Amino acid sequence: MLGYWSPITQSAGFISRGAIAASAVLVMAGFALSESLPSYKTSPDVLQAPSMEHWLGTNGIGQDVFVGLVRAAPITVFLALITATAALVLALAASSLAAFGGPRIRSAVLRLVDVLQVIPSILLLLLLAAWIQPGFLGLVVLLSLTGWHEDVRVALPILLRELTRENVHFARRMGASRRYCLRHHILPAIWPAIVGLFLQNVRQAALKTAGFGFLGLTDPRLLTWGSMIQDSMDYLYTEAWLWLLLPPAGALSLFLVGILIIGEGYMSNGNLNGKEHHDPR
Amino acid sequence: MVPPIILNMLSGLGVRLLVFALLVLLVFFLPRMLPGDPVEVFLSSDLSRNLTGAESAELRAQFGLSGNWPQQLAVYLWDLVRGDLGYSVPHAAPVSDLLKASIPWTLLLIACAAPIFLLAGAAGGIEAGKAPGAFFDRIATGVVTVIASIPPFTSAVLLLLAFGILWPVLPSGGSEPLFPSSNPIQRDFDIARHAVLPVLALSLHEISRFYFLARGEAITLSQRPFILNACGRGIKGWRLRTAYYGRSLFPVFLARMSDALTGLFGAVLFVEIVFSYPGTGHLIYNAILDRDYVLLQGAVIVMAGLVLLLNWVIDAVATSLARRG
Repeated sequence: MLGYWSPITQSAGFISRGAIAASAVLVMAGFALSESLPSYKTSPDVLQAPSMEHWLGTNGIGQDVFVGLVRAAPITVFLALITATAALVLALAASSLAAFGGPRIRSAVLRLVDVLQVIPSILLLLLLAAWIQPGFLGLVVLLSLTGWHEDVRVALPILLRELTRENVHFARRMGASRRYCLRHHILPAIWPAIVGLFLQNVRQAALKTAGFGFLGLTDPRLLTWGSMIQDSMDYLYTEAWLWLLLPPAGALSLFLVGILIIGEGYMSNGNLNGKEHHDPR
Repeated sequence: MVPPIILNMLSGLGVRLLVFALLVLLVFFLPRMLPGDPVEVFLSSDLSRNLTGAESAELRAQFGLSGNWPQQLAVYLWDLVRGDLGYSVPHAAPVSDLLKASIPWTLLLIACAAPIFLLAGAAGGIEAGKAPGAFFDRIATGVVTVIASIPPFTSAVLLLLAFGILWPVLPSGGSEPLFPSSNPIQRDFDIARHAVLPVLALSLHEISRFYFLARGEAITLSQRPFILNACGRGIKGWRLRTAYYGRSLFPVFLARMSDALTGLFGAVLFVEIVFSYPGTGHLIYNAILDRDYVLLQGAVIVMAGLVLLLNWVIDAVATSLARRG
């Protein structure tokens, strides 16, 4: 009856908490480290090839690419994590509202998700970004508000399935409070799905923020890997692309591959829905 | 009695019309809600001369900003109904003409890329999903995972670098040579040559989505009795892949297409910017850079309408196919 207290679920939960804690520590360490680095300032040594002095060379206005890469890392990663969390929280709130709020509210939430689903969000985001040149906070708000609805479509069926399971009915009959059921029966069961959704959100957010950085639509002071790739675009016809384009593009791709691989591990572990759920964008 | 499929289509149309109306309102109100005067914002970047009151009022009328906002909205909506999307000052041309010139290029890219990524995704996914964990599956899934993790603009830049600059076999930008050939066959050939890299970049980006979808479906299909039966009867090779797996994948692919459409238009935008391809994405991007808000608004409305329309058609076809089971 308490089937999902199985070792797999528990270990998945354990790993996920570990992974989240580890990434938080890494981001903090990254911020601390980037403070101790030399500043990302312009200098007369423009477009220098990699050397002992500048490990990855310098860009068109004499900024050290390596310093930029390390300084952009915590911003890029943190931006993706925060956006993913915000979207997930919104999605879970909407799903719980739909699951607990009765049929009227549920159909209203589903209708809203339908509407958001057909909005060409990229056009909307371009329009907004062109006007407000979002900084860190602006990007988090814009991307989470336009990205949460996809999660509801996955989270709501799982939540409804778990709510109607017999172990929950049984525990309620035996006098368990709603809080107890939520903590001990429902949350452990949906946790792997939540982690899977979170990782997928992180990828989406990282891709989208990089895209905005690449288009130059973010606040120009916000240094991300995407904006570093944008910087390299003017030097494709010279040799400088080697050290201007490849490091940020490689770092971004490595980050995305890493998240995908962790996510794959989960999907096979937690067996989300029993079906492959893939949407790389 | 109205058949359910028609009802379904009508409700789908209703949702999309609602979304479109909301977007039009947003496009109308956004510049008016933000601090600052649109006329001054527009002028501050281009001119430094002070305007007299009369000139300013004339500009206001030209931008549809005279009167209170219900009047402005009425003027705006009436213009929209008549197909007048305003006049782009930096391009010195009506917005509708600019869009008419650029939409075919975007559609050309999508129309050329769609068969490539759909067929390649389906073929690879079926092959991998027939025998999950086998040699082909391990290699192909690994490769596609890496491709899926390269952002669309990066893969486009890498393609441009490889085949346009380092080994310049293909043109690196534009949709045709500066002076198009007068010979129509030569001209078509040039257009095709210019489209190769953008189409490749676009399909490369979209392939992963359909590969994973086909692979997942093929894994489930392999367990279904009709496939087991077919294998038992000795059907294999091409026929098993197309008539048994391929045909069953069709509705799923269509359903995913309607979701993927927004993403596809987003990817086209990046590809067009990287290759300076004169489609709508490039037009929108330049409108942003030039602060050409009239063009930006018009382009966003028209493209949104196009995406919603395509998405509705695909959705309706997918629903009717899914009902067949």
